[in-house]
Amino acid sequence: MRRLTRRQRISAIALAVIAICFVTLDDAGGGLRNAHGGVRGAMGALYRSTDSVLGPTRRFVQGIPDVGSSRAEIDKLRRENTDLHRQLAASQAEAKSTAELNRLQLAADAGGLTIVPAKLIAFGPGEGFDWTATLDVGAGSGVAVDQTVTDGSAVVGRIIHVDSSSSVVLLAADPGSGIGVRDTRTGQLAVATGAGTAGFTLVPLDPSADLKVGDQLQTGPAGQSTYAAGLLVGTVIAVRASGDGTTQAALRAATSPTALDLVGVILHGGPNSAPRAVITPSGAEPATSPSAGAAQSAGHR
Amino acid sequence: MTVRRAVAALAAVVSAMIVQAGLVVPLAGHIPVSLPAILVAAVALATGPSTGIALGFTAGLLADLASQHPAGVLALCWLGLGVGAGLLAEHTTKRRAIIAGALAALSTFAAGLLLAALGPYGTPAMDCIRYAGPAAIGDVAVALALTPIVQAMLRSPALRARPAVRRA
Repeated sequence: MRRLTRRQRISAIALAVIAICFVTLDDAGGGLRNAHGGVRGAMGALYRSTDSVLGPTRRFVQGIPDVGSSRAEIDKLRRENTDLHRQLAASQAEAKSTAELNRLQLAADAGGLTIVPAKLIAFGPGEGFDWTATLDVGAGSGVAVDQTVTDGSAVVGRIIHVDSSSSVVLLAADPGSGIGVRDTRTGQLAVATGAGTAGFTLVPLDPSADLKVGDQLQTGPAGQSTYAAGLLVGTVIAVRASGDGTTQAALRAATSPTALDLVGVILHGGPNSAPRAVITPSGAEPATSPSAGAAQSAGHR
Repeated sequence: MTVRRAVAALAAVVSAMIVQAGLVVPLAGHIPVSLPAILVAAVALATGPSTGIALGFTAGLLADLASQHPAGVLALCWLGLGVGAGLLAEHTTKRRAIIAGALAALSTFAAGLLLAALGPYGTPAMDCIRYAGPAAIGDVAVALALTPIVQAMLRSPALRARPAVRRA
């Protein structure tokens, strides 16, 4: 083994003494704090600037032992992701159904109607019409021919065929469907004929009827139409006067026939079926109609 | 030592510290493998004690100042590493990498014990002892890759030491 020269020995001893001095100085009172800070700052900047190169290498090497488990983890996360997507879609569909059910409930409460909710399970031509839909409720649920189908606020169509557990609706949009309607502004009666996705064509019973763009049309009159009264049909978007003096209007449908999902079949009820009070001269004792009185006395018995 | 060699040595030490912090420490975990110490040992084994003393002290002091513990600990240990490796320079042509790794592990072990003795700066003394074996294996493994590169660089014409000129 070679030996240190005298000069090397002195250098080594001197540097060792300096190092021990540094240790004592720094450990006792932090006398080299500024030097620490300066070097750490410079080295920190270098670490950060080189991490773009060293970082990917480090992560690659660190990931090698976990390749197998990472693949399993990725598969697990993918499955979870698919499940979450499915749950999200189901949740959105559920929220839509809930909103539709709420609307039907509101319609039942407001109009005194008995409504059975139904899901649309088929759509297309049938029973000799172009626009029909099949519902998942039938005679078993009290559904009968000519009952009105609504989405809660607007008319959808009427039942034209009933089986034990399904029924067929003639949609109001069908060109063969005519609905007796009343203008909510003027009270004028008219007939709205389906025009597919374009809405309805409206012909007033009075050729000189006052129709304006923006007028709303409801089913009616009560008791005189196949449809339950008071359901929205559409809004006038154009009025056209023919040369022979007759007036026609185009209606935008209140509900889209191609976006139906949950609907309600109105079994019975509505303005025409409820017993009502009679109008008497002011100051006289209010009285009920004979039928209501009979119903009351039947209840007492 | 020429200016060119000094600059190259400083660049090598700084590079080793960057790779140590960015790659070696995260990958080695608790095992205290030290790339700058291996560099000091490899250079000292190739060039002798003078370079070993200078490089060991400088690199150690720089590493001390860049860390949390008191300055001088690594300077002292790597100074000893430079002296020890420099003294073995002429006798270890074939097994330089293994000796460089072993000496680096020894200096790291000594530094660990010294820091443990000084207070709550480094790992506890028991951990230094527990990880001494794996650290030696790690240091030798790294030295096997690093030593040939250091030797090749030191043999390059740009960094070769000039022969001393004697006056007549």
